[in-house]
Amino acid sequence: MVESKLILHRRKGYFWSTESKLAYLFLLPATVFLLAFMIYPIINVIIMSLYKTNKIGKLVEFTGSTNFSDLFQQKDFWVVMLRSVYWTGLAVAVKTLFGLILALLLNVEYKGRKVARTLIIIPWASSVPVSALLWRWVYHPEFGLLTHSLRVTGIWKNPPVWLGQPVSAFFSVIWVDIWIGIPFMTLVFLAGMQAVSKDLYEAAVVDGANTFQKFIYITLPGIRDVLLIATLLSTLWTFNDFNTIYLMTRGGPAGSTHILITYIYEHTFAWWKWNYGAAMAVITFIILSIIALIYAKVYFRREM
Amino acid sequence: MKSRASIILLACVLTVFLCIPMILSAGGAKEVAKVTFFWAEYDGLTDAFRQELQDAFNDSQEAIEVDIVPVDWDLMHDKITTAVAGGAPPELCVIGTRWLLEFMEIDAVEEVTQYVSKETIDNISPGAMEAKLGGKLMGLPVAAGARIMAYNADITTKVPKTMEELRELAIRVHNPPKVYGLIMPGKKHTECTDFAYYLYAAGGDFFETRPDGSFGKSTINSPAGIKALEFMVQLATKDKVIQEGYLGLDRMDSHPLFYVGKYAYVFIGAWVESAYKSAGGEFDLRYAQIPPFAGQKQTSLIITDSIAIFKDAKNKEAAGKFLDFFYKDEWKARFDEMIGFPPVTISAGKLPQFQTPLYQVLIEAAQNAKGWPLMTEWAEVSDIIWDANVEAFLGRKTPKQTLDDAAAKIDKLRGM
Repeated sequence: MVESKLILHRRKGYFWSTESKLAYLFLLPATVFLLAFMIYPIINVIIMSLYKTNKIGKLVEFTGSTNFSDLFQQKDFWVVMLRSVYWTGLAVAVKTLFGLILALLLNVEYKGRKVARTLIIIPWASSVPVSALLWRWVYHPEFGLLTHSLRVTGIWKNPPVWLGQPVSAFFSVIWVDIWIGIPFMTLVFLAGMQAVSKDLYEAAVVDGANTFQKFIYITLPGIRDVLLIATLLSTLWTFNDFNTIYLMTRGGPAGSTHILITYIYEHTFAWWKWNYGAAMAVITFIILSIIALIYAKVYFRREM
Repeated sequence: MKSRASIILLACVLTVFLCIPMILSAGGAKEVAKVTFFWAEYDGLTDAFRQELQDAFNDSQEAIEVDIVPVDWDLMHDKITTAVAGGAPPELCVIGTRWLLEFMEIDAVEEVTQYVSKETIDNISPGAMEAKLGGKLMGLPVAAGARIMAYNADITTKVPKTMEELRELAIRVHNPPKVYGLIMPGKKHTECTDFAYYLYAAGGDFFETRPDGSFGKSTINSPAGIKALEFMVQLATKDKVIQEGYLGLDRMDSHPLFYVGKYAYVFIGAWVESAYKSAGGEFDLRYAQIPPFAGQKQTSLIITDSIAIFKDAKNKEAAGKFLDFFYKDEWKARFDEMIGFPPVTISAGKLPQFQTPLYQVLIEAAQNAKGWPLMTEWAEVSDIIWDANVEAFLGRKTPKQTLDDAAAKIDKLRGM
C-alpha cells in the first residue's frame, strides 16, 4: 500500500516535473488556438444544427433532429450528397493516377528533370482563386482559349458552353480541381519513391524482374504509407473544395455543380438558413471523420 | 533552480513577444473614429474615384477616417451577411433596398435620419425613398433607376413597339458572327432581372398582392409568366438570336459584349452610357423603352439601392458625417454620372449633365415601372426562379413545367 502510494507520488512528481511544465507551456498556445478556432466552432455548429435559428444564426428554439430529418426528406440534398461522393471519388482517383505517373517520370534521371520538377509545382503554388479565374477564361464561350482552339483547328466546330451546361460544367470544374491537386500528389509520391532503397531495384533486376513488376512489387509497397496519407488528405480537401466551384459556377447551372460544401454556403450565407447549413456541416464532419478513422485504422494497423 | 529561472525567463520573453503588436498599435494609435464602407462596384464607377473620395474626406477630417472597401455587386449580399452574422458589420454598406427587410427583421440596421443631417435628407427626391419603411428612412437612396432598352443604331434604327416586333427585328438583323440580334444572360447572377423584364412586359407579376398589400402565392406560372419564359426560350434556343454561349454568361459577362458593337438590342440599366464610354464603344448608341407584349402596357423594372447604417457598428455618428460629405453635388453628382443612374438628389437633378436623352428615357421608364417584391425570402426565391429559367433553356422541362415546379417550391418555402 505504502509502496503504491510512493509510486503514485513519484508519477505525480514526474508529471509535474519542471521539464513537463515547460512542455505544457509550449503546448499552451497551440491548445488555446485549437480550442478557440477548432473545437469551439465545431461544438457551436453541432449545437446550431439542433436549433431553429434566426437570420443571423442566433439560436431561437431547440428542435432536436428536425433539421436533419428535413434535409433527409429533400431530394436535392441527396442529389448533392451523391454528387459530392462522386466528385471526391473521381477527382482523387484521377489525381492519384496522374500523380503516380508524373512521379514515376520525374524519378527517372534525364536532362531537364529539375526544370520539369519546378514546372510541375506551378498549379499547386498558384492560389486557387487565381487558377479558377484563369480556367474560367479558358472555358469562356466566346473568347476562351479552349473553345476558340477547338473551333479554329476544326476539331470541334460547336463545342459545348463548358460552364453553361450541366454535364460539361461538372467535368470542366472537376478538371480544374484535378489540375490544381496533381502537383501535390506528384511531389509526395516522388518523395516516397526516392526513399525506396535502390538496392531493391538492383536485386529485382538480377532476379529478372521487368519494369512493371518492379513498380508493382517494389515501388507501390514502398510508397504505400505515403499513398495512404496523400489520398486521405486529398479526399478531405476535395470533399471540401469550395473555391473552385464557387468561383467558376457558383453551383450552377441549375444546381448541377453543387457539392455539399457549396450547398452549405448557399443555405447559410445566401439564404440565411443557418440551421440547415449547420446540419449539413455536421453531416460533412461525420463523413470526413469516418473516412479519416478508416484510414488511420489501416495505417496504424500496419505500423503496429 | 536553474530550470525554474529558465522557464520564467522563457515565459517573460513569450509574453513580451505576444504583446509587441498590441504595444505598437497602442503607441501609434490616434484618436480617430474609423468608418468602414462596403462600396458596391457599379459598372462605370472607377477605383480612382473611390480613392479620390476617400482621400478627400480623410484630408478634410482629423478625427474620422473612412475606409471605402470595394465589393463586387454579386458578392455584396454574402459579404454583408457574413459581416453582420459575425458581429462585425461595417458602419455603411450599399445594399439592394429589397434586402432591407431581412436586416430589419434581425434588427441590424438603424434609421439613417438619426445620423445624416436634415440638409442631406431634404435634398433627396421623395420618389427615391423606397427605403422609407413604416415611416422610417432605413436606407439613404444611392441609386434608383428603371431598366431600359439600348440599341446600336449602326445596326438598326428600328425601335420595336412590342416584344413580338423586337423578335422579328432581332431575327432580321441577326447575322452571326458579324451581327447578333439581342443580348440575354443565361447564367445565374444576383437577381433574376431578365425574367422580370419579360414577365412585367407580359403583364405578369411575381406574386398575387392581397388587399392589405402583403404577398400571396407565387404567380410566376400565370399565363403571363409562361408566355414570358416561352418567349425567352424561343429567342435563345429556336430563333437563336442571342449571344453565343449565353448559358455560360451572366450579366457581367454579357453586357460588355454590347459595347463591342455587334449586338443590336440589350435590356440594361442606366449605367449603359458610362460603361459604353469606358469600354471605348464607337457606334451610335440610342435608348428606348423595353417594349411590352402586344396588348400590354409598357412596364419596366425599377431597382433602387440604398446605403444602410448598421446598428452594431462603432462609429455611426462619423458615418453620418461621411454621408453628408459624399452627398454634396461635388461627389454625388460625379458618382451618379459615372454609374449613369438619374440623380437621387434634387440639386444634382438640376445639373446640365443630367438633361440628356438617356435621362429622359430613364425618367419615362420609371413612370410605370415596378420594383422587386419586398420580402425577406427574396434571395432564395430569386435563385429558384433563375434555376427554373435555366431548366427551360436546357430543355429539361417546358416553361410551364419548370414554372409550376418553381411556384410550388416558392409557396412551400413561404409556408403557403
